[in-house]
Amino acid sequence: MDIWNEVGWLLPQLILILFVLLLPAMDYLFRNDKRPLAWITLVPLLTLSALVVSWLFFGEGSFAASKVPYMQVDAFSGLFMLVFLVVGIVVVLSSPEFIKKDKNQGEYYALILLAITGMTVVAEAVDLIALFVGLEIAGISSFALAGFRKSEKRSSEAATKYFIIGGFSSALTLFSISLFYGVAGTTNIAAIAGELAAPSAWITESQPMLLLALVLLIAGLGFKIAMVPFHMWAPDVYEGAPTPISGLLAAASKKMGFAALFRVFLIGVLAVKTDWEVVIGAMAIITMTVGNLIAVSQTNIKRMLAYSSVAQAGYIMIALPVGTEYALAGGMFHILTHAFMKSGAFMVVAAMGVVMIGEKLDDFKGLNKRSPFLAFAMTIFLLSLAGIPPLAGFASKFVLFSSAVYTSLDPGPSWLIWLAIAGVLNSALSLYYYARVIKYMYMDKGPEETVKVPPMTAAAIVFALAMVFIIGLFPDQFVSVCQDAAGAFPGLPFGGPE
Amino acid sequence: MIEYAWLIPVFPFLAFLLIGLLPKRTLLWENGAGYAIAGAGGALVGGPEFTWLIIGDYEVTFGLWVDQLTAVMLVVISVVGTLVVVYSGGYMHEEGVGRRRYYAEIMLFISVMYGLVISDNYLQMFIFWELVGLCSYLLIGFWYEKPSAASAAKRAFIVTRVGDIMFMAGIIILLKYAGTLNFEELFAQHPQISAAGGPISKEMLTLATLMIFGGAVGKSAQFPLHEWLPDAMEGPTTVSALIHAATMVKAGVYLTARSYPLLIQTPDSLLVVAIIGGVTALLAATVALVATDIKRVLAYSTISQLGYMILALGAGGWLVIEGNEAGGYAAAMFHLMNHGFFKALLFLCAGSVIHAVGTNDMRLMGGLKKHMPITSITMLIGAIAIAGIPPLSGFWSKDEVLAAVYSSGEFHAVFFVLWAMGVATAFLTAFYMFRMWFMTFSGEQRSEYHAHESPKLMTVPLMILAVLALTSGFALFIGSGFDSFLEGSIEDLGHFEVLEPGELAVEIFTDPLTYVSIAVAVVGILIAYRIYFMAGFDRSVFGRGVSGWFQKTLENRWYISKFYDDFAYKGVYGLSLEADLFDRYVIDGIVNGFSYLGANTGNVMRKAQSGNVQRYASLIVLGMVLLIVFMLYILPWGGW
Repeated sequence: MDIWNEVGWLLPQLILILFVLLLPAMDYLFRNDKRPLAWITLVPLLTLSALVVSWLFFGEGSFAASKVPYMQVDAFSGLFMLVFLVVGIVVVLSSPEFIKKDKNQGEYYALILLAITGMTVVAEAVDLIALFVGLEIAGISSFALAGFRKSEKRSSEAATKYFIIGGFSSALTLFSISLFYGVAGTTNIAAIAGELAAPSAWITESQPMLLLALVLLIAGLGFKIAMVPFHMWAPDVYEGAPTPISGLLAAASKKMGFAALFRVFLIGVLAVKTDWEVVIGAMAIITMTVGNLIAVSQTNIKRMLAYSSVAQAGYIMIALPVGTEYALAGGMFHILTHAFMKSGAFMVVAAMGVVMIGEKLDDFKGLNKRSPFLAFAMTIFLLSLAGIPPLAGFASKFVLFSSAVYTSLDPGPSWLIWLAIAGVLNSALSLYYYARVIKYMYMDKGPEETVKVPPMTAAAIVFALAMVFIIGLFPDQFVSVCQDAAGAFPGLPFGGPE
Repeated sequence: MIEYAWLIPVFPFLAFLLIGLLPKRTLLWENGAGYAIAGAGGALVGGPEFTWLIIGDYEVTFGLWVDQLTAVMLVVISVVGTLVVVYSGGYMHEEGVGRRRYYAEIMLFISVMYGLVISDNYLQMFIFWELVGLCSYLLIGFWYEKPSAASAAKRAFIVTRVGDIMFMAGIIILLKYAGTLNFEELFAQHPQISAAGGPISKEMLTLATLMIFGGAVGKSAQFPLHEWLPDAMEGPTTVSALIHAATMVKAGVYLTARSYPLLIQTPDSLLVVAIIGGVTALLAATVALVATDIKRVLAYSTISQLGYMILALGAGGWLVIEGNEAGGYAAAMFHLMNHGFFKALLFLCAGSVIHAVGTNDMRLMGGLKKHMPITSITMLIGAIAIAGIPPLSGFWSKDEVLAAVYSSGEFHAVFFVLWAMGVATAFLTAFYMFRMWFMTFSGEQRSEYHAHESPKLMTVPLMILAVLALTSGFALFIGSGFDSFLEGSIEDLGHFEVLEPGELAVEIFTDPLTYVSIAVAVVGILIAYRIYFMAGFDRSVFGRGVSGWFQKTLENRWYISKFYDDFAYKGVYGLSLEADLFDRYVIDGIVNGFSYLGANTGNVMRKAQSGNVQRYASLIVLGMVLLIVFMLYILPWGGW
C-alpha cells in the first residue's frame, strides 16, 4: 500500500499512539485486578525495543527513512529511542504494585506511553518546531503523571510546581526559537547552521539577538536536563511524584533534553562554537559540583537521587564542549548506562515504597537483614553511579572523561582537560553519599522483619541489574553502537583512540 | 573444550551468588552440592579473549590460559575444594545461620582461585590475586566477634599486602618495558626479551622477576613474610585446610611457576628464590618442633613444605638453564599436588579431633586412638605421607625435590648447602609429625573430654583424602609420567630429556640419595617414638643449657613475630603517631575545611531550595542574566 511508504517511518510513534488510545478504554475491562494493563503496556515497548536492538546491535532490519524534512531517523535517534523504551519497560514493570490501589490506571499507562512518544519525536526532530512539539507532548504527559495521585498533597504540589516551571521554560524555548527564526529565517537546525556559518550582513548585525536566543535555549533545555541553576524543580518533583514516575523523569525525560541539546548545539550552533562551549563547559562543572554537594546533605533518598542525577547531567554535558565524535559517543553511552542504573535505583526505592519501608535515608538502615536482594541491587546501582569498575557506570564515565583527555592531548593542550579532572574529583565526592547508603544497609541495625519484593518489581530490578553488569563487563559492543549513533552527526572530529 | 574453561570459575561463583542472595530457608545448598566442577583435561593453550578497557596503547584484556600447569592446579583446587565443602557440612553444623555466609565466602574463594589459575595475563591474575586475599581475610575472620580472629584476619591481609605491592611493582615494570602483560606475548619472546637490544634490560628483568616473586613470598608465606599463616589458624579449621592445601598459599607457588619463562632468564632471581625457599623450609620446620597447638604444627609444616616447592623451583630453574632438565619444575608442582592432598587430610583430621575434644592444645589430648579410629588412622596415613616414607605420596615428590636440588649443585655450590638444609628439614618433618600424632592419639587421656568419632559427612572425605595421600605419588608412573605431562607447559624453554616411567623408577631406587632421605625420615620417626610414645623419657632435659635456650627461641618463633610487633608498635607506630599529628592538624584540617565548606554550602544551597515556585522562576531569570553577563563581558575579558 502506498500509504505505508508515506508513514512507514512513523511506525514506532503510530504503534505507541495506538496503545495510548486503547489503554484508557481497557481500564474498564479489568475490574478488580488491573495488572494486565501493565502487560498490555509492555507489548509495544518490548516489540519496539526488540526492533531497535536488532537494528542497532545486529544490523538486522532498519527503520524507514523519514519522509518529511523536519524529522530524521538515524542511529542517533534510534539509540535515544532505545533508552526511552527500556526505561519505559523498567518503569511499567515496577508500576502495578506501586499503584495497586489507585484509580485511573489505564490513563497512567497511556500517559507513560504518550510521554515516550513525545520523547521519540524529540530524538528524531531536526527542526526546532518539531523539537518543540515533541518536548511539549512529553512535558504535558509528565506533568499529569507527576500529579497522578491527585488526592495526595505532595504529589499534586509537585505536579503544580513542575507545570509552572515547565510552562515557564517552554515559553523561554519558544521565544528562543522565534528569535532564531527571526535571525536565520528558518527553523531547520542544519539550515540555521548554514546561515550562521556564512553570515549575511543581517546576521552580523543581529548578534545580540543571537546571544539572547542562545541563552534562552540553554535555559529552556537546561530546565529539561536539570542544569544548575535551572534544576530547582527536580528534587521537589522527584520527591513528590510517584516513585516509578520519578524514575521515568530522571532516566528518560532528562535524556530527551540531552537529545535536543546535542542536535541543537552540535549541528545548529556549531558556527558560533567559541562562545557557547566555554559557557557549557563551565556550567557542566558547576552542575556536577553543585549536584554532588547538595546530595551530601540530603536525608530523603529520592531527593538524594535527584541531586545525583543533576550531577550526572553535569558529567554528560562534558560531551558538548569537547564536541568530538568520541565525546558524543561517551555522552550517549553515559545516557544509556545512566538510564539503567538510575531507573534501577528508583525502582529499588519504589519496591521499598510498596512494602511500606519508606524513603528516608534512615529507612535503609539494616536493609540487608530485611531484604538482601534489595540491598544488593541498591549497592550495585550506587556503586555503578559512583563509577566503580567493572560496572556500567565506570565504563561510560571512562569513555566520557577520556574523550576530554584525548582532545587535550591531540590537537593540543586545552582547558578541556579540566572537565575530566572535575569529573573525576566529583566522582570521588559522590562516593561519599553513595557509600553512606551502603553503610546504612549493611552495617547499621534497623527493624528486623523481612519484606517480600513483588515479582514484577523484582523483574524490573533484575533486568536493570543485569544490564549494569553486562555493559560493565562487555562495554565494547555498546561503545561501538554509541559511536555509530554519534556518526550520524556529520563533521565532528573523531577524537578518540584507534 | 578449552573454550569453555571460563565456565570453571563461573559455577562456584553462581553458587556464591545463590547462597548469598537466596532467602535463608533455602539452606538446601548448604552442602555446596550446588557446584559441579569441570575437571581438568590435559590441555593446550587457547580460549576466547575479549577486550575490556583500552588505556592509551594498552588494552586490558580478559582471557584464558589453560595448559598442563593450570590443569594440575585445577585438579588440586577442585578435589580439595569439593571434599572440604562436603566435610564442612558436618564441621560447621552448629554454626546455624552463619553457615550461609560461610558457604558463600567459601564458594567465592574457590571461584576466584579458579579465576587466578586460568588467567592469561598478569593484570587479570592480579585482580583475582587480590580477590583471593579478600576472601582469605573474610574467612580467617569468620568468627569476627572474637578479637583474636579479627586481628589475625587483618594481619593476614596486611602482611600479604606487602607482597601484593611488590607484585604490582613487578607488573608495572613489565608493562613499562615489555609493553605487554599477556603471558603468550611475554613468554613467546623469552630468549630475546632481555637480550641486548631487547625491550628490557637484564637488570630490569631481574628486578621485575624479584618483585613478582615478592608477591609469591607474601601469598605463600615464605620467610620473612611467613608469620601471618600460623595466626590464620583463628578461622574455622576447614578454612585452614582450604587455604593450606588448595587456594591461598598455593597461589604464590603457582605464580612463581607461571613466571618460569621470565625467571630462567635471570639466574640471580632464581638463586634468591631457592635460598628463600630453603631457609623457609628449615626455619619453619624448627618452629614446628615445639608448637603445642595442633593446628600450629600443621601451619608451620605447610610453610616448610611450601619452602620445599619454592626451593625446587629456584634450583630447577638452574637445571633448565644449565642442564636442560625440567626436573625441579616438575618436582615442585608434583609436591604441590601431593601436599594439597595430604595437607588437606591432616587439617581435616585435626578439625575432626578439635571437633571432638574442643581444644587445639595437644598437651590436653592423648589417647584418642580408641575413641576416633578412623581419624587416627587417616591422620597416621597423612603423617607418613608428609614424612616421606615410601610408597606414600610425600616420598616421591620430596625425593624428586631433593634430587633436583642436589643435581643443580653441580652449577652452583649454594645448592649443596640448600640440599643439606632440605634433608635436615625432612628429618625434622618426620619427627614433628609423629610427635604430633603420638601426643594426640597415643598414651593416656590428659584432660576431661568425651571424644567420639565424627559423623560420616566428615570421615568419608577423610578416607577419600587418605586414599589420595596413599596413591597420588604414583602419578609419576601413570601414562608417560607426571613429569613429561607437566613439562608440556614449559616445552618452549628447551629440549628436555624425559625418562620413561620404568627408567625413572630404576633411577630413583638406584640413587643413594633416595636412601638418605628415607633414612633421615625413619630416624626422625624413631626419635619421636622414643620420646613421645615409650614411657620413661624425661623431657625436661631439653629445658636445660643450650637446648633450653634453643627451645625458648623456637617457642618464640625465632623472635620474628616479636620483631615485627616491636617494629610495628615502637617503630612504625611511633612514626605514625608523629604522622598522625601532622595528619590531624594539617591534612585533616584541609580536608575538614573542605568538607565543612561542602556541607555548609550544601546547607546554604539547600535553604535556597525553599520549595517556593516564584523563587525558582526568578532564579532561572537570574541564571540567564548571569549567563548573558558571562558571555558578553567575562568571556571577552578572559580572552575568549
